[in-house]
Amino acid sequence: MARPERLLEIAEEAIGVGGADDAEALVYRQAGGLTRFASSRIHQSAWREDLWVRVRAVVDGNRVGTATVHSADPGTVRATARRAAAVARAMPPDPGYPGMPGPATYPAAGRHDQATAAADPATRAGLVAGVIGRLPAGVAAAGACETRELEIALANTRGVRAAGATTAASFSILADAGSGTGWAEGTEPALADLDVAALGERAARKAMDSRDPRDLAPGSYPVVLEPNAASVLVQWLGWLGFGAKAYDEGRSFLVGRLGRRVCSPLVTIVDDATAADTIGVGFDFEGVPKRRVTLIDRGVAASLVYDFRAAAGHGVEPTGHGLPAPSAEGALPMHLAMLPGQTPLAELVAGLERGLLVTRFHYTNLVNLMGTTITGMTRDGTFWVEDGRVVGAVRNLRFTQSILDALASVRAVGAETEMAAEDGYGAARAPALAIDRFAFSSATTF
Amino acid sequence: MEPEELTELALAAAVEAGAGYADVRWVREETEGLTVTDDRVDDLEAEDSSGLGVRVLVDGRWGFAASAVLDPGRAGDLARRAVEVARASAAVGGEPVALAPAEPAVAGWATPVARDPFAVPLAERVELLLTACDAQRSVAGLAHAKATVDLWRRRTVLWSSEGARLDQTVTQTGAGIEAVAVGDGDLQQRSWPNSFRGQYQAGGWEVVEAAELVANAPRVAAEAVQLLAAPQLPERVTTVILDGQQLSLQVHESVGHPLELDRILGMEAAYAGTSFVTPGDLGRLRYGSPAMSVTADATTPGGLGTFGFDDEGVPAQRSPLVVDGVVAGFLTSRETAADGTGSSGAMRADGWGSMPLIRMTNVHLEPGQGTLGELVADTPDGLLLSLNRSWSIDDRRVNFQFGVEAAWEIKGGRLGRLYRNASYDGRTTDFWGSLDAVCGPEAWVVWGVPNCGKGQPFQNARVGHGAAPARFRNVHVGVRGPHG
Repeated sequence: MARPERLLEIAEEAIGVGGADDAEALVYRQAGGLTRFASSRIHQSAWREDLWVRVRAVVDGNRVGTATVHSADPGTVRATARRAAAVARAMPPDPGYPGMPGPATYPAAGRHDQATAAADPATRAGLVAGVIGRLPAGVAAAGACETRELEIALANTRGVRAAGATTAASFSILADAGSGTGWAEGTEPALADLDVAALGERAARKAMDSRDPRDLAPGSYPVVLEPNAASVLVQWLGWLGFGAKAYDEGRSFLVGRLGRRVCSPLVTIVDDATAADTIGVGFDFEGVPKRRVTLIDRGVAASLVYDFRAAAGHGVEPTGHGLPAPSAEGALPMHLAMLPGQTPLAELVAGLERGLLVTRFHYTNLVNLMGTTITGMTRDGTFWVEDGRVVGAVRNLRFTQSILDALASVRAVGAETEMAAEDGYGAARAPALAIDRFAFSSATTF
Repeated sequence: MEPEELTELALAAAVEAGAGYADVRWVREETEGLTVTDDRVDDLEAEDSSGLGVRVLVDGRWGFAASAVLDPGRAGDLARRAVEVARASAAVGGEPVALAPAEPAVAGWATPVARDPFAVPLAERVELLLTACDAQRSVAGLAHAKATVDLWRRRTVLWSSEGARLDQTVTQTGAGIEAVAVGDGDLQQRSWPNSFRGQYQAGGWEVVEAAELVANAPRVAAEAVQLLAAPQLPERVTTVILDGQQLSLQVHESVGHPLELDRILGMEAAYAGTSFVTPGDLGRLRYGSPAMSVTADATTPGGLGTFGFDDEGVPAQRSPLVVDGVVAGFLTSRETAADGTGSSGAMRADGWGSMPLIRMTNVHLEPGQGTLGELVADTPDGLLLSLNRSWSIDDRRVNFQFGVEAAWEIKGGRLGRLYRNASYDGRTTDFWGSLDAVCGPEAWVVWGVPNCGKGQPFQNARVGHGAAPARFRNVHVGVRGPHG
């Protein structure tokens, strides 16, 4: 069983060392296993347990220092607290130091599933073996099955005592049918909620449908983005400027746009750690309760997220999106979700006269922050659609596209959502999107 | 308990539990990252991470277990867990893993350091960065100034069941400045010595001093402000000269990664991707023009990929990857080189908690001749592209697109007007086939790339790339279509 309360004891040990006006200790433990497969065999499998304690100490009223150690040893933790105070004494005063949060009541968030926390390597290997065993002839597979448990505790000298635990399970599969590949991925708080067999079948079917792709000239096309691809747009938008610090420093696409329509009224994006299908705990890295924040409300840029410092500066309540303080980044939305519509994926495709169905993006990166322009490739299932039917695969394309422009031309929103993470950073839940114009700037050879 | 004692306990337990091969790494990594924005310290992260990682082969299957929570009893538990993980992998078939032979080394190694960067008083570091920010902010029109210093020191004690007994300490240091100009709905930045927190090398505080942050600050800030008023780079096909910083990332993405043998063999297919290169391309594939020779060298002084031994205990090596434009070698491990060629010594983990993967060491584009000034003077029409801003490449490393901070027009052998939002794109072998000149040793610098991602769970590697400015013909610049 998860016992984040024992992490709280470590945090209290750290802040009890003394020698600081304010002190805070954040204790983070993560343990779990990941089984990787490629060419239809398990080639890497690992288990890892990490535990770190980060102490923030404040001396002389506003000199702030931090120190982090990966250890639960009480003597080492106390030494780290003393080190944080020593760092603080060497730092210049911070006139904007806002103090630390006080005690609060935290919402229920995330979900802890004991079976997922306890999943052993044989369980993961068995799931992999089952999927590989059902692959059609001529199809090989690569991917990963991961199960992990996360526990977080935070205490400070202002009375904050917060502790929580959550679990996460994911299964991803790339099926390779020779001249075509297909992809499917699932992430849920509990391993039992993943339909691994269905993921395998979906990836294999896509791989076979992706065989013998034809060239398609770069250009602007209508698209249906499956949830995995759509989630990448949501994740990037989250990084590009919903944090109040980024906004204040002028490095946010929301500068000059807050309160204004920025995309289709069909688009609503929230950050909600309290949703039952997300992965997280009920407080942020400063011990502030996490709140549901509507970032884009029916197409209108609605709100920023605030850590404790930015909230003090703006005279508002913090929203529970703080990173470990002090942070050069400021607050970030970390539980993003685009709300679903009412159109099943099959109907989105049926509504496409001539255009592309995109399974997944690869290696996306920022081109222009203020324009919310990103670039990246399609991969593992890019299909040409005519008269509402998939007629064949096309070679992968590079897109260079403003996210806001794409979301402004959303024609319909899918009814089903999936949680996905591109290139392993963060995660966002999103539905499929039918978009009237999506710009592909070049093509590749496969 | 001493790391050697923990390592010995875990190694003995792994062998007793049935491991046919085992290696145990105790790793301690100390890091300090300092960020100053404008007139205040924005962030200071000081971290001390140590733990034990046990890697075993049981009946030809890998198992790995690692923990930061250490005591003598847990060392044995960790080893037995690694064996359990390996045994579970037998549920899925496939050929058992074999390892290329490697002479078990008993040795120590450490990065040469002129001045221990961790011993530099924090107040001195803060003062330097505040001064560098002040020097940027002296330029009218600048929105924000940033200055950073990052320090890393990693000690690795590696013991193997074959008899390897290694103890090495790698020290790496980086520093940089970043000037940001904001206006008219746009944001432009200019950095020094490199983008994304500056230049990183193996070494001590001397790396920070060599960066000359304060001396370069006014120029960098002025260029950021000039960029805000500069025109957008028009789309066209032209000649480009990449500066060494941008070229280092071009080498990284379109040469280093495609020549990692695990990618070539499909072991990273689901995540980072594979490669357009096949094992049969060795000695045959024309990768680029005859001006292109690329070398992997883990012995280069100052490189972020410089060490004594890799995380399988294989000694640091220098080996050719591309010679006169033709593929001449791959980055390999003991597993992927078990056919008798031997490991190239490129297996690296990002700490105690990760299995080693094939990673770049220092992958250099070998220098040609002449200075950047001479190369510009020899270019009637083209662009000089400087410092990376954005990068992306497909999952077989063919189609790439890079954005840069600044582009200067070259007309009649002279630098002309400045453009903003510049990018270029291409396909790997076409692009390297268009290389016609590389500057000489006097312009050749080992640049650091400290953020190379690969693997599941995600691992970050710090790698080096020696590069001098180089010229490419018929390159597409700008982006087709209505993009901002």
